[in-house]
Amino acid sequence: MWTFNSIINKIFDILFLPFQSMNPWIGMIFISLLTGLLMLLVFRYTSNQEGIKRTKNRIKAHLLEMRLFSDNMRISLKAQGNILLANIKYISHSAKPLLFMIIPLILVLIQVNFWFGYSSLKPGEPVVLKVKLENDYNPLEVDLNIAPSSGILIETLPLRIEEENEINWRISPLKKGVYNLEIYIDGQKVSKQVSVAQTSLSKISPKKLKGSFLDGLFFPLEAPIKKSSPIKSIEISYPDKSLPLFGINFHWLIAFFGLSIILGFAFKGVFGVEI
Amino acid sequence: MSTMKTKIKIFFITLLFIYFFALASPLEAYVGPGAGFAFLSSFLVLFLTFILAVFSFLSWPFRLLLKLIRRQKTYKKSHINQMVIVGLDGMEPTLVEKFLAEGKLPNLARLKKEGTYAHLKTTTPAISPVAWSSFMTGSHPCKHNIFDFLSRNPKNYLPELSSAWIGNPKKFLPLGKYKIPLSKPVIKGMRKSIPFWKFLGEAGIFSTILRIPVTFPPEKFKGHLISGMCAPDLKGSQGTFTFYTSEKEKAKIDEGGVIIPLTISDNKIETYISGPENSLLKKEEELKLPLKITLDINNKTANINISGKKFILKEKTLSNWVKITFRPGLGIKVRAICRFYISEISPNFKMYLSPLNIDPEKPALPISHPFIYSVYIAKLLGSFTTLGEADDTWALNEGILDEDTFIKLAYDNHKESEDMLFNAMDKTKKGVVACWFQVTDSIQHMFFRYLDKKHPALKLGRNKKSAKTIEELYMNMDKLVGKVRDKLSKNSCLVIMSDHGFKQFRRGVNLNSWFYRNGYLSLKDGKIESGEWFKDVDWTSTKAYGLGLGGIYINQKGRESQGIVSPGEETRALKTELKQMLSGLMDDGNNNAVAINYLYDRDEIPPGPYKENCPDFIVGYNEGYRVSWDSVSGKVNSTIFEDNIKAWSGDHCIDPKLVPGIFFCNHPINTKSPSIVDIAPTAMELFGLKAPDHMDGQSLLRLENSPEKKQKSNKR
Repeated sequence: MWTFNSIINKIFDILFLPFQSMNPWIGMIFISLLTGLLMLLVFRYTSNQEGIKRTKNRIKAHLLEMRLFSDNMRISLKAQGNILLANIKYISHSAKPLLFMIIPLILVLIQVNFWFGYSSLKPGEPVVLKVKLENDYNPLEVDLNIAPSSGILIETLPLRIEEENEINWRISPLKKGVYNLEIYIDGQKVSKQVSVAQTSLSKISPKKLKGSFLDGLFFPLEAPIKKSSPIKSIEISYPDKSLPLFGINFHWLIAFFGLSIILGFAFKGVFGVEI
Repeated sequence: MSTMKTKIKIFFITLLFIYFFALASPLEAYVGPGAGFAFLSSFLVLFLTFILAVFSFLSWPFRLLLKLIRRQKTYKKSHINQMVIVGLDGMEPTLVEKFLAEGKLPNLARLKKEGTYAHLKTTTPAISPVAWSSFMTGSHPCKHNIFDFLSRNPKNYLPELSSAWIGNPKKFLPLGKYKIPLSKPVIKGMRKSIPFWKFLGEAGIFSTILRIPVTFPPEKFKGHLISGMCAPDLKGSQGTFTFYTSEKEKAKIDEGGVIIPLTISDNKIETYISGPENSLLKKEEELKLPLKITLDINNKTANINISGKKFILKEKTLSNWVKITFRPGLGIKVRAICRFYISEISPNFKMYLSPLNIDPEKPALPISHPFIYSVYIAKLLGSFTTLGEADDTWALNEGILDEDTFIKLAYDNHKESEDMLFNAMDKTKKGVVACWFQVTDSIQHMFFRYLDKKHPALKLGRNKKSAKTIEELYMNMDKLVGKVRDKLSKNSCLVIMSDHGFKQFRRGVNLNSWFYRNGYLSLKDGKIESGEWFKDVDWTSTKAYGLGLGGIYINQKGRESQGIVSPGEETRALKTELKQMLSGLMDDGNNNAVAINYLYDRDEIPPGPYKENCPDFIVGYNEGYRVSWDSVSGKVNSTIFEDNIKAWSGDHCIDPKLVPGIFFCNHPINTKSPSIVDIAPTAMELFGLKAPDHMDGQSLLRLENSPEKKQKSNKR
């Protein structure tokens, strides 16, 4: 899984490389455009284009019918019924391309989430580092410590919470950069990436897991923790990120959803795709 | 009003955006763009439907009340709910009677038994645009100004389309090589008087008028209309097909189409689709669309690529409608629909391209009322022919289409009209539905010779059909009548009618040659014949000329630009002379058979305000005769009579007395000799309205207290 994730990570690193020091909206527009176009092509080759066209025409015809025969209740009601029926057919035409689109889309969404979902830490801004242990280990008993790092200050002693089976530290970044915190537990070393005030667009890995297939799928940025390790996960509470526009903060998902649809629609004529 | 609409649109769009950008939860958004495409469109439709439904429901009580109040007035005096008029152009009474006697037309027989069958008196001349104009206005030609397909321009003696005039916008803004129009193009209907559906509409009675001739440009009224015969193609012509051929030497087309010679290189052809003139350019030039054809000789197919739009067409298969788009510049698109037919893949490549029909979904010219009606029909029933004369008789006449393909094309067009009719009948349960069918006219024109074993056109080798074609045509129309009967509303009036009948066209008469040989028309010095459109005619010594399918004009001083015959006594004397000489004109090449029965003087036919535009004479040809092909196009030579050897072998442009139409009705009528001008007043009386005084016809109804009868009892 990690090999696959590494390839995907690399692809997205390359894709976002030119946009890292630009306004994040530009990167968002770019990835939305790319996704919109990809989905357009998938839609074109996996859907019944003729059927969609026919069904859409019927819907439009019945909408026009309602306007042309607005005085006639019988025709208007029948037209409304026909629109609903045609709509069901239209959605059914979209089911097949949806199946083809769902896997690549999930991969894209996971990656985009780590590029646009979190803000990197700022120097002097403290944050909690959580290490969750396997059930067989007691946080009060394990021998666990963090190696000193040039860019990260470990502000507190470990806080061992038995009920949660986890150990927390408050850490505080000292200067910009990407650091690997090295955590030693029972003689084993596990590292966790920490991003501090990088470029305006950078990927953030908030959590590192031991990893089932799904954990690997949903947290692909860092190599999984070894199975033999007593640590189940390491998490840093990065602040959420939003995309500001005209004073409104947009969640990246809304921006991505809106833009990819708008751009997809905008280019459907160019690619001759019936949506 | 438009500002209000814009505001409403903005409101709906804002609501949509609020929904997606503010209210949608991340989970919903996780559906992603792929599903978003489908769900957004779907949601939009549902949303619109919901809004319309709410609006519809909320306003329903008020509308119902209004409707009841109106309808009380509207339909209070109405004798019926629905009137359906099926116009079968050119259906011939003698053939109807023959097939009725043979039991081949059971639905028409039933109609005859239940109601009426009669011959329907046609107009003078018996030409479709003239007759259908009289049908709709209830008036004779001098009141509606249509006397032929063509009228003549007295300034230059050239023909002009009689039904409509299309002109470029008058004001332009020059911009580089472009001239940007600042006003709309002028589209002027030349048919005068008012159709009966407009009067009905003013009284609140709804009509759906489908493909009735001379309804282009469409006029406003309470109802829906699709223009019919005389609506142009995208080039502005009455239908210009294109013939692509690699056999350049043998290619020849006299009328109706253009040839584009091809060169095949490595089974590939690069050519173009010839479009309309680009009126956006200062120096107008033809719009062209690149057309690439790749031949697969083994499979007898061709891969056709029109500006990136590809499809495969088999040899001897007619394509479906293909949408094409011309781009004259400045981001403007002009859309058309057309059909392809490859008659030969190899050794020579030959392909027919139908006239470029105006795309009904995105019409470049108004072809319906309201404008969206053609869009609605196209989206509901599929693309349909919008060219007035859809059945490409010229292509068969010129040998470009074979007989079977022509028949398929004609019946395909017929099916489109049939579907439109049934949709209209379903939607117009109260009011008038009138639909015109061309197939009866076009198939009879092109196959009538099979009913006459001695027809000169049968000497050609292209005859593969038989008299069965006509018989099947009549039987198919009978089936249509059956289907229409099944769909009629309660208390309906059904009229099945034709505008004229049909007779054989064996011999052509070149009137202009007759004028030339008898000293009424002169050619320029040294010329013994003239090219098309009187090219070599010396007008300064010409007294009379023929133009169109039945018109004779006096070259009158003060009217024609180079007229020499003084109005008044000199004209009267010349007309008397011509009438004497031409009435009863005999064909010395056909045992002195009478070719012309009578010349109808325009002073003899029912008068009207547009009499001045009527030809001075309308020629009443005898059965078997018609104006010759050369004479129609203004050619002059020494041949007066000639055999008609074209596939176009039946006609009706003869003495109107010889070609009445048919009239079937499910109600009895009050006369044995109805006329086409009686239909409009009948329709009005059926809905309880008095026909306006200018209508020449009278109601055919046998109704008590008929206002028509009281006032017009002495008219006939």
